Amino acid sequence: MRLAVESVSYSYSGPEGERKARRARARSGARAEAVGASAEARRADWGNDPQDIWALRDVSFSIREGEFFGIAGHTGSGKSTLLQIMNGLIRPTEGRVTFDGLDLSSKHDAARAREEIGLVFQYPEHQLFANTVYDDVAFGPRSRKMDAAEVDRRVREGLRLVGLPFDEVAERSPFSLSGGQQRRVAIAGVLAMEPAVLILDEPMAGIDPGARDEFLGLLESLHDSGRTIVMVSHSMEDLARLCERILILSEGRIFALGAPDEVFADPAALKAVGLGVPAAQALAVKLRQAGFKLDRPLYDMSSLAEDIAAQVGREAAGVIPQTMLGAEAGERHE
Amino acid sequence: MNERAIIGQYWPEDSFVHHMDPRVKCILSIAVMVIILCAGNAASLAVAAAFVILFYAASRIPLAQAVRAVGPLLVIVILTAVLNILFVQGGTVYFQFGIICVSEDGLISAAFIGCRLLLLLLAMSLLTLTTTTLDITAAFERLISPLARIGVPAHELSMILGLALRFLPQFMQELSVISRAQKSRGATLTMNPFKGGFSTMASLIVPLFASAFRHADTLSAAMEARCYHGGVGTTRLNPLRTSWRDGVGSVVVALMAACVVIMNCII
Repeated sequence: MRLAVESVSYSYSGPEGERKARRARARSGARAEAVGASAEARRADWGNDPQDIWALRDVSFSIREGEFFGIAGHTGSGKSTLLQIMNGLIRPTEGRVTFDGLDLSSKHDAARAREEIGLVFQYPEHQLFANTVYDDVAFGPRSRKMDAAEVDRRVREGLRLVGLPFDEVAERSPFSLSGGQQRRVAIAGVLAMEPAVLILDEPMAGIDPGARDEFLGLLESLHDSGRTIVMVSHSMEDLARLCERILILSEGRIFALGAPDEVFADPAALKAVGLGVPAAQALAVKLRQAGFKLDRPLYDMSSLAEDIAAQVGREAAGVIPQTMLGAEAGERHE
Repeated sequence: MNERAIIGQYWPEDSFVHHMDPRVKCILSIAVMVIILCAGNAASLAVAAAFVILFYAASRIPLAQAVRAVGPLLVIVILTAVLNILFVQGGTVYFQFGIICVSEDGLISAAFIGCRLLLLLLAMSLLTLTTTTLDITAAFERLISPLARIGVPAHELSMILGLALRFLPQFMQELSVISRAQKSRGATLTMNPFKGGFSTMASLIVPLFASAFRHADTLSAAMEARCYHGGVGTTRLNPLRTSWRDGVGSVVVALMAACVVIMNCII
């Protein structure tokens, strides 16, 4: 149990959240009276001050060492807040987060834990700033006062992990690279701190479909080399493919937590909280209702094709999966 | 990093002052500030203070909000007061230590100047507390539009002002995200130039500028896509209109001016 989140709640009514709360009030400005009237109703709902806006409510879970952990949720369900709490950047209003026995509510421990927990923000390429890729990746290690040899080793290792050729990119300006390469440089900057846990907020946002598969491969290889990975994503396909466990957040509360096959077993329930299930899984559930005998708990494109072919029977058994898989593979080659 | 409210951020309310015409409010708040500066003695300053309190009452701004609006600027008030205590000498001496000498005249002048500055700040923030930035820029455009005849680009200036105000909170928020992102990759954010403060500044400012240019690009594309072509012939969705409130407001400010002048003369 490396990283544990224990009944964490986060409200915008803290000093940090004051402005957000006021903006929300301003939005409802004219309806101020109406809110007052329904205050009692809301108090019953939340059991708290109706002026508070809760981003997270009573969230508890723990992440095992070496796990690939996925987080999904509708916009505004508290995902990004949760990530920043897990890395000690913001402190929960209630509850606590521990990492290997360090309590992240202490500023000192949080700073130490941050060396072990790397957080990659959304659009991380927007934080590049140095003149060269080398300097940018070296920013973290240098701030930690490491000597030049160690910094050099870490920069090389970071760039190698994200699959960028050191000799080609190291001396170039990060702003001259393509969007996908910039994102790799930014991730290398976090990896140069050699974190044991890597947290990524929507690492695939705005990446074109071609580079997408490469990126998924990159995350897989980072996981295979022993890192614990936490990923927020809107793509249920990606989550189903990569994650060992998935946490679904809805309005700041845990809606579901479990292996992909458990979480994606009920498409209707997920739809109610604004999420879908992987396309192949959705089709499998529909076919099952239509009388097909599909036994696997979670389907992807190829396993579904196989099982359908087996049921449709006939000599097509070998042909159908191949044509379907052929089409998929063809897309990838383009 | 810093999520505190901007000085004098708009406070939505349904009040007399909020419903006044922004052009009139701009002119009147300048007038009020001039009047406060004209107040030459304690009595006239007290009268001016009474009027400012009246204005706040009419705007229904909560006291706590008014304090928060001027709070960050109180440093200036306190600094000025302290300088006055130290440099204005005369009358009874209360305390002397080396060259530091606290005297009666110094204290009086410190209190007077401090109160006057505080009143100025309050009058100034009343405008921004009760007027949306959109209205302020519209008023600004109307007020300087006579200068367009001598070649001042009135519409463009107010557009620039409006955009700058619009993006201020956006950039503050982005700066906070950038600083968190740099922190999470090991940066120890320090402003101390001997401990890598310059590198800290670069790691925050460069991404912020990059983002500013990105915003400028998308914004100009979006404006062009909506056929923006400058101010010529553009009509307003909510045209500015003066109402009876503006008349009442002007009369009250005139009254304030008269009272202050009278107090100045008779005492």
